[in-house]
Amino acid sequence: MNVVIASSSIDGGIGCWDLQTGAEQLRYKTCVSPPHGLASIGCRFLACSQLRDPSATSGHVLYWSWSKPQALVKSFPAEPIKPLAANTEGSYIVGGGSSGDIYFWEVATGRLLKKWHAHYRAVTCLVFSEDDSLLISGSEDGCVRVWSLFMIFDDVRQQQASHLYEYSFTEHTLRVTDIVMGYGGGNAVIVSASEDRTCKVWSLSRGRLLRNVLFPSIIDAITIDPGEHVFYAGSRDGKIYIAALNAESSPTNNYGLHIIGSLTDQSKPVTCLAYSAEGNLLLSGSEDGMIRVWDVKTKNIIRMFRRSKGPVNNILIVKLPYSLSRAESKVQASSRRHEISLQPPLEKYANSSDEDLDNKAIITLPDMIDLPSYLSSQLINDHIKQLQQQGSSAAAEMEVKRLKHDGQRSMEMFQQLKKVYDNLQEFCVNELLNGQPMEGSKGN
Amino acid sequence: MSKLDQLENMYDVGLKPPMLRNLIRHYLPSGDHPLNLNASCFELPKLVSILKTHRLLSESDSHSVVPKLINAWKSAVDDWLSCLLSLLSSDMSDKCWVGICLLGVTCQECSNQRFLTSYSVWLDKLLSHIQPPSDSQLVKIASCTALSDLLTRLARFPEVKKDANSLAGKLIQPVLKLLNEDKVEAVWEGAASLLYALITLFPASIHHSYDKVEAAIASKILSGKYSDITLKKLGYCLALLPKSKGDKDCWSLMMQKILISINDHLNEAFQGLEEEAKSNEARRLLVTPGKDMPSPLGGHTSLEGGSFNGTSSERLPTATISTLIFCCCKMLTSSYPVQVTAPVRSILALVERLLRVDGSLPHTMLPFMTSVQQELICSELPVLHAYSLELLIAIIKGMRRQLLPHSAYIVRVITRYFKRCALPELRIKLYSIVRMLLLSMGVGMAIYLAPDVIDNAFSDLNSLGGEDFEISPANTGPALPQPSNRKRKHGIKTGSQEENQVGALPKVGESNTHQMTPITVKIAALDSLELLLTVGAASKSDSWRSSIDSLVIRTAINSCKRGWGNVENNVFLPHESASAWADFQLSSLRALLASFLAPARVRPPHLSQGLELFRRGKQEAGTKLAQFCGYALFALEVLIHPRALPLDDFYSADGVSNVFSENTYPDSQKQNTLFFSAAQTTEQGAIKSHDDLYNKWLQNEVENENIADENTKDKTSRPNDSSLANVLEVSEQEPAAADAEVHMRNEDEIVVQPRRIEEPIPKSQEIVSAIAVTSPPAVGTNLEGGEIESKEALSACDRLNDTDHDMLSGVDKVDFDTVGGKTSSTLPNAEKGSSSMAHLESESSMDSFPDIVDADPDTDTDAESI
Repeated sequence: MNVVIASSSIDGGIGCWDLQTGAEQLRYKTCVSPPHGLASIGCRFLACSQLRDPSATSGHVLYWSWSKPQALVKSFPAEPIKPLAANTEGSYIVGGGSSGDIYFWEVATGRLLKKWHAHYRAVTCLVFSEDDSLLISGSEDGCVRVWSLFMIFDDVRQQQASHLYEYSFTEHTLRVTDIVMGYGGGNAVIVSASEDRTCKVWSLSRGRLLRNVLFPSIIDAITIDPGEHVFYAGSRDGKIYIAALNAESSPTNNYGLHIIGSLTDQSKPVTCLAYSAEGNLLLSGSEDGMIRVWDVKTKNIIRMFRRSKGPVNNILIVKLPYSLSRAESKVQASSRRHEISLQPPLEKYANSSDEDLDNKAIITLPDMIDLPSYLSSQLINDHIKQLQQQGSSAAAEMEVKRLKHDGQRSMEMFQQLKKVYDNLQEFCVNELLNGQPMEGSKGN
Repeated sequence: MSKLDQLENMYDVGLKPPMLRNLIRHYLPSGDHPLNLNASCFELPKLVSILKTHRLLSESDSHSVVPKLINAWKSAVDDWLSCLLSLLSSDMSDKCWVGICLLGVTCQECSNQRFLTSYSVWLDKLLSHIQPPSDSQLVKIASCTALSDLLTRLARFPEVKKDANSLAGKLIQPVLKLLNEDKVEAVWEGAASLLYALITLFPASIHHSYDKVEAAIASKILSGKYSDITLKKLGYCLALLPKSKGDKDCWSLMMQKILISINDHLNEAFQGLEEEAKSNEARRLLVTPGKDMPSPLGGHTSLEGGSFNGTSSERLPTATISTLIFCCCKMLTSSYPVQVTAPVRSILALVERLLRVDGSLPHTMLPFMTSVQQELICSELPVLHAYSLELLIAIIKGMRRQLLPHSAYIVRVITRYFKRCALPELRIKLYSIVRMLLLSMGVGMAIYLAPDVIDNAFSDLNSLGGEDFEISPANTGPALPQPSNRKRKHGIKTGSQEENQVGALPKVGESNTHQMTPITVKIAALDSLELLLTVGAASKSDSWRSSIDSLVIRTAINSCKRGWGNVENNVFLPHESASAWADFQLSSLRALLASFLAPARVRPPHLSQGLELFRRGKQEAGTKLAQFCGYALFALEVLIHPRALPLDDFYSADGVSNVFSENTYPDSQKQNTLFFSAAQTTEQGAIKSHDDLYNKWLQNEVENENIADENTKDKTSRPNDSSLANVLEVSEQEPAAADAEVHMRNEDEIVVQPRRIEEPIPKSQEIVSAIAVTSPPAVGTNLEGGEIESKEALSACDRLNDTDHDMLSGVDKVDFDTVGGKTSSTLPNAEKGSSSMAHLESESSMDSFPDIVDADPDTDTDAESI
């Protein structure tokens, strides 16, 4: 079941709707999210950074399980965290701090594995690459940086390298508002939006700017269509512009170079966008608290979700695990709740004192089914082979040969003995015959 | 059976009961007279195969069966079973053996109902044969196997789970007894397989005797005296044992115990080969200071477990160490009900420790090791290294993404070892680890791993050997009967090659330390290169890309120049050596494809040679290689005709593509039914969905002054001009009225498709109007689809004119090049198509443009002669 999840900067909970039917699901309570602060952790549970007061010096991160409206785990990072992101497996969470630091936590243990200074000013958005090996961060200072996680964890290489990042794109002049990454591993494009009214398309393989698109208004949200034909840019003037990636664009256009159209519904500023590959739907969240579902082909709105109050600033499309989307049995539900309650909160500081934990990792072993198969018929073949080898004709033949040889030798021996016997007998007979006359002569 | 029941065929159900009775009569030894081993025993496999093929014991059939038949079948199976049971209770061990084996097969084959009613009886019968009074080892082994089959079947019925668990519990003690008290190794093997079935299928039954099972297995493993396969089976059982408890601590404890045991054995074995500090450090990682040592594995202090103590000077505990490492591997890669805590760091330290010892004596230490001892260790080290690499593989598999914090360490261990490792088997393993890392850690890893992979692959692939020396005697190419002309060719080729080798020989010495790289290592190197290209070619590859591309094409050409390896299993050769050559070719072609497809800034420099190789390979019908070459050609098509398609048809709403499908087709269909019926289905669909692609081609026309011919995109632009003029002349002969209509329609077209069609339409007009000479009324409607028209003409020609086929459908640039050079009147394909179309439509049109028609056969012959 694909659900739409939306959160707001004003406390109204996290709304959750079934994308197909439009039915509202559970509403997760007490959430005040900054932009890009909502993340689904490997589809297992939801995490959202919280920022009640923009000037506060601390914030926190909350976890919700799918089945309970109350937040289950509350973590207190060292500084306010705005953007949050998790890898697809849900084993790591990264958060961007207001000081420009990036925090890298392990979900299973809650340990802060790494923290590094990424930007000079607050991190505004964080995106994992398709294969989870790269992290892209955008900052208030207009900088977009690409990090290889392998490098982040390689202390030896870091000392040799002059900088930690793979690429640093500095062409934006103002705050980066959103980043998306396209398809294709190392050959992908990155699109970034900024308050300088531009969206820029970067090549990951060349580390260069490919295209600069100037929009009539500031773009706060972008999303890319999976075919990378176009990207959609939600703007503060309430329109969603369609800008060309691979698509043709004519130089003469109402909006500007590379902008080939727009979706518009007279709404307030568009704050977030999401693209559902299933059915090619574009979802937009707006400051008026509405979530619009567009059919990109006809450019019509096919559904609207309404949050109770406040502007929407995060939309996610999450595929719920199968067991949850069905009416699950109580046993399953309780076991799941058990599991989520075991998730440890994220640690505040990198804690190297507990060396034992440092040496170990909590892992979920791969789910490989390995069952015994029937063996009897194989066993019969093996045993027969053994038996046959013992009584095989080749062996018998050798045995026969040996016996024959033995027989022959015995025969020879016999012959020899017989010869000896014959000689002896002859000798004796001769002796007797010769002796008799002697005796006879004696007697004579 | 009455005569009425005539059997239909071999599938007739009525055949089965009498068949079974027949088997009983012929193959099963009857009660009284003694068994003749040679006569009936050796026929058992045949009996089993008949049972299985005809499913004689299944007692059910998909077809409806008459009750009478069911009864007959049932009674036949009853007889079968009673016969087996009487065999089982016989005093003669050979009869007993036959009965047990067949009961095992019956457990697998009989119907559900029968199994459920009688499994407990069977279990008891079988159980009696693994208990003391029985003495024949064959009977014991067969009983163990039959019992494990019975359990396997039993596990499929969840409704009897409770009963099954208690029954399984009854088996534990006898199995332990076999393990502990029996003296014959083969019996343990049987007991191990039964134990394995018990652990995997009924883990709860072991729960109470957990420690005893652990002790029994551990004592066998620690003694290290037995054959590899037995130890492995036992080791696997040990690895799965924690499942019976199924909690987190149990797994960790077992892992810790095994690691400690390995460590202790290594301390003993490596005495004098490594510094004391190393072993202490390993120990410190294993047991956290301040925490208790776990009790040793199986309750033994590991070094007194077996014969090890007494014989340490003569032999190393290699078997024990390797079995324990095998246990670790299995623990890391088998499923487990809950999340576990794996001591990653200490496992990695163990791997590093093992790989670091290479038999050399450290300089800092006094040589208090005899040379005999050193020889001994050196002879065993390759095995230990192989197992430690296995352990590394297992940990990568088990940890998946969570390996990230340790990935740098692993990469360092591997690259360091790669530099020293010279044994083929180990290098192959190293390459496979590299591949796993590349695949699981993605681009971020590839950037940093690339230099090492490339260095090693270069040295392995460049070194002489493998393909030239070792394989040639076994090489199936020239030696085995093949079509005669080819054989001769190969003979000559190999001859000349050998001469080349002689010339090349002096190089060998200087090339590197491992001169003769076996072909299997080369395969592994190529596979790794392939993966590196697919994963990491896009990022920061400038420094190595071109050299890798040329290495790959060189290897591929070398591998293929002596014809194709034989994949078929030659009965005279062990399988590996027969297929190694074919595998090498396949790997080299796979790497080649990856080098073409991997993202690059320039056109692949060796594309034409590669295409040639793929095309040749594709002709070897029936081989894997041909299959791959077909796929490669298919994949390269995208490289040659790049396209970036929209995810969805964005323009259909504007109605552009509808214009084509709705306006053009109905009219023209009337005119040219012949061509449309041929091409409509494919073409119409194509135009609809690939509208954008189509437009691109029209745009190309503007740039190239060329009518779109997909194959000759940029090659035909020059000769085109003159031929186009030809057509233009022809078109001037047309009625003026037609011309006027042309322009009118043209404007319509502009309205519909404002961006691109302006220029192309007049272009295609000419051809179409050339055709139109023969069918004037069609002119107006044909125009919009001018391009389509000529394309369709092409495809129609494809079908009608077989000689055209090769040239038109091929992607052969080379062909076109030469054609262009030789014949002055060469035409782009579209025009040729239109001419032959005209030719087909009416004889009279031939007269109006004779030179075009002439040109056609010309080009054909040229194309064929190439």
